[in-house]
Amino acid sequence: MSAGDPTREGETLRRAFTALVVVLLYLPIVSVVLASLANTRYMIFPHRVWTIDAYREAIGQYTTADLHATSLKIALLVAILAVALAVPGALAFARFRWRGRRLYQRALLLPIFFPQPVLGLALLVALSAAGIVPDWRTAVFAHLVWVVPIATLVISIRLYGFDPAQEEAAYDLGATRLQAFREVTLPAIAPGIVSGALFAFLLSWSNLPLSMYTTGADTTLPEWLYSRMATNYSPQVPAIAVLSVGASALAVAAFLLARGLWRRAASSPATRATS
Amino acid sequence: MSDRSGPGVAPATSASAARTADGGEPALSLVGVTRVFGGSRAVDAVDLEIREGEFFTIVGPSGSGKSTLLRMLAGLDRPSAGDILLRGRRVNDVPANARPTAMVFQSLALFDHMSVGDNIAFALKMRGVARLERMERARALLDVVHLPAAYIDKPVTQCSGGERQRVALARALASDPEILFFDEPLSAIDNRLRKLLQVEIKELHRRTGKTFVYITHALEEAMVMSDRVALMRAGRIVQVAPPLEIYDRPTSRFVAEFMGEVNVWRAVREAGAVTLPELGLAFPSETIPAPEGFLVARPEKLALLREGGAAPATIAGTIVDEFVLGSRKQIHLRPDGAGESARERPTVFGEIPADAAAPGPGARVRLGLAFADCRFVTE
Amino acid sequence: MASQDHSNDRSQDRSRAGPIAMAPVAALLVVGFLVPLVLVAWLSLMPERTFGLDAGLTGANYVTAVRDGYVVPLGWSLAFAAATTAICLLVSWPMAKVLARRGSAFALTVTILVALPIFVSESVRLFGTSLFLMPRGGILAGSVNALFGIQIGSILYTKTATLVGLVYVYLPFALFPMILGLAQVPRDQVDAARDLGASGWQVLREVELPNAMPGLLIGGLLVFVLAFGANTEANVLGGQSVAVITKSIDQRFSYAQDWPLGSALTILVAAITAAVVFPVLARIDLDRLLRR
Repeated sequence: MSAGDPTREGETLRRAFTALVVVLLYLPIVSVVLASLANTRYMIFPHRVWTIDAYREAIGQYTTADLHATSLKIALLVAILAVALAVPGALAFARFRWRGRRLYQRALLLPIFFPQPVLGLALLVALSAAGIVPDWRTAVFAHLVWVVPIATLVISIRLYGFDPAQEEAAYDLGATRLQAFREVTLPAIAPGIVSGALFAFLLSWSNLPLSMYTTGADTTLPEWLYSRMATNYSPQVPAIAVLSVGASALAVAAFLLARGLWRRAASSPATRATS
Repeated sequence: MSDRSGPGVAPATSASAARTADGGEPALSLVGVTRVFGGSRAVDAVDLEIREGEFFTIVGPSGSGKSTLLRMLAGLDRPSAGDILLRGRRVNDVPANARPTAMVFQSLALFDHMSVGDNIAFALKMRGVARLERMERARALLDVVHLPAAYIDKPVTQCSGGERQRVALARALASDPEILFFDEPLSAIDNRLRKLLQVEIKELHRRTGKTFVYITHALEEAMVMSDRVALMRAGRIVQVAPPLEIYDRPTSRFVAEFMGEVNVWRAVREAGAVTLPELGLAFPSETIPAPEGFLVARPEKLALLREGGAAPATIAGTIVDEFVLGSRKQIHLRPDGAGESARERPTVFGEIPADAAAPGPGARVRLGLAFADCRFVTE
Repeated sequence: MASQDHSNDRSQDRSRAGPIAMAPVAALLVVGFLVPLVLVAWLSLMPERTFGLDAGLTGANYVTAVRDGYVVPLGWSLAFAAATTAICLLVSWPMAKVLARRGSAFALTVTILVALPIFVSESVRLFGTSLFLMPRGGILAGSVNALFGIQIGSILYTKTATLVGLVYVYLPFALFPMILGLAQVPRDQVDAARDLGASGWQVLREVELPNAMPGLLIGGLLVFVLAFGANTEANVLGGQSVAVITKSIDQRFSYAQDWPLGSALTILVAAITAAVVFPVLARIDLDRLLRR
């Protein structure tokens, strides 16, 4: 059979190409890890001495904790607020049929299809016009402008797979609107909500162009890394970069773990608490 | 619509004319129920009475408005005009969750994130019944729909097509509704399973004595299960009658043709005779109640004439096709004179025994037809 | 119900639920997107180097923008955006064909591997790229030197490096919509076309491309817009070799303290973005693209 398949060879080539691109995508990240294992102020690779001293110093430093704390509180708030806005936003996007929906769907995409540094600057102008001094809280708002549309799309994709007849069935069986939403719609789209929250968290955590203009005196991890790349380089810079990536990897791991637990709980209903 | 067709040629005391129920209040009455979407009338001034305990089926092609009608009956949609009476009480504005009815949805609409038991017991949960009690009820219902009791904890997503159908049925029964609605629930499953579930639904109807209102586009399904059938077309009810009467005494071409392959010929009343111009045939000393209309004849009414055999009217022609239906076969006959020069002559459908001696394609045969076997309709 | 329903909707209540549900998001977009842009537009009409919003209106900043040679960085940004889009689409196509296949373990693994770096900050990834490309002691040059004893040159701080960085950062944005688009290509249509005698090239042109077009458009558009407005890549990898328009804008706002001119340049960028985005977005059926 396979011999007669004319696309077989092409598929192998495409797979090889794909694998190559993936390797290239990871080279810079590997480079950061390699650079962090030195103890010299200037990078001369391969290192004469391989050490994790930079991590020891970085972890002991106040800056590291402070940067992580700032990024973390911004990302957590962004994740929570983004989901709170995106759930109804997604219902309006994918579930409800109403006049103006097409316009709304497109308007929602505009912040995604817009250069982020330009958005950041525009927000800076607006903040200054309103007399608001930027700090980490204004960064939360700036991130939301960009993240909420994305979270809305993520949840919408899940909603598209939801049969609205399930809600009608709930009404038909005696549920009120609120009950139908809580008992049927919400659990059905829960995986989308969790993904939306994860996306929001990670996108906020790693954002540079919006933070650059809207954090004021506060500094997020990406901002700090960006500024220290050019000046004051030391192996601590790549070390902190690796730590920040590790922190977001932790968030992903926590998400996967939570999802696994959720699935296990869902597949054994007998163990669930009575409601 | 049904009142507008002419009286039947066959001696007919049409039961559909006597629409008032056999005593007692109807379970559901519809008075001029209309639903407008944009500018179009999806349901157009429907009058209907559905009797207590009846298995009532609404049949129609897709887009005929039958689903819209059912959704209004269930309370999922409101009529633009007209009234829906549930046991004499107007329920136009009573929402679905407050009506003593339950629906089996076309997509089934099972709650995918729940177990079989939680699906079935949903209506009871909404009524605040305690978990233990509602699970007990769910277990009893599993038995009613012939599912093993062990299924109660099974995720509904792990059920097969047929099992899902049964869960949907049990879920609708859980609140002990007075009326059950079915929105083409069997349209997406294979033939064998469909037949089996048809029998089970029918049996369930007998056992519970509840009123069932069923929607389908499959005529055969309607014929097998229903006490009465309503035929819908373009938002209107065309005919309401028991299945056999719909088959034997259609009141319009549409009904006749919806019920399977059928001969429809233009008929004209002339002095003391009825002529069929398309076939060049005449029935002398017969008459029809309108100057012009159509004669409808089922294929099985056209008998094969042996050598020298006679009939009130005969159609001679060549067999062009045959379709075996078990012990009999349907033949498509090209009537004589249907050559290129002749005016359009319809293919004639007949039915003859499918034995070895029967004529096949290419054979010249004569089919006989009695006027009494035809049904006259004006439209 | 007295209300006449003009929409084709079946449940009347839903037509009210939509506007209510979208209200919070809409408020956010108005306050966080529309209002700032309007303010910037207004500021761009203020006289040079003013900070208030109440001076007389003037178009002078736009004249300055053209006269002072800001057309050059604008041109560079557009050129980078176009090149990045073209390269990303070309690289993505074969990858998307592999990754759009459902139920393949390879596809799933690779999809996750490609997605993860999106969540690693641009600054980390570009930092890594520059460490990799650095001359002499860099990861690449250092390794080559250690292994083969040859000293190679470096492309760091050139336009090429900028382009490499742009492609690297924005490739996933072309790839993922393209996978969505390719998932819309019905497998049996491809088989039918082959069965009817179409060559691989003809299948691509007649079946795959038309079906995958919405995904391609979205992906291409996203890359173009993001690359057009990018400045980090040029700063980190391009060094002094090139000035892109967002870098010029940034300088107007920060060093030069000339907000009105910066705003005028911002509006130019926004206008070009809108001119590219609107026609494409108007043509795409989002319901179809996002539904599986």
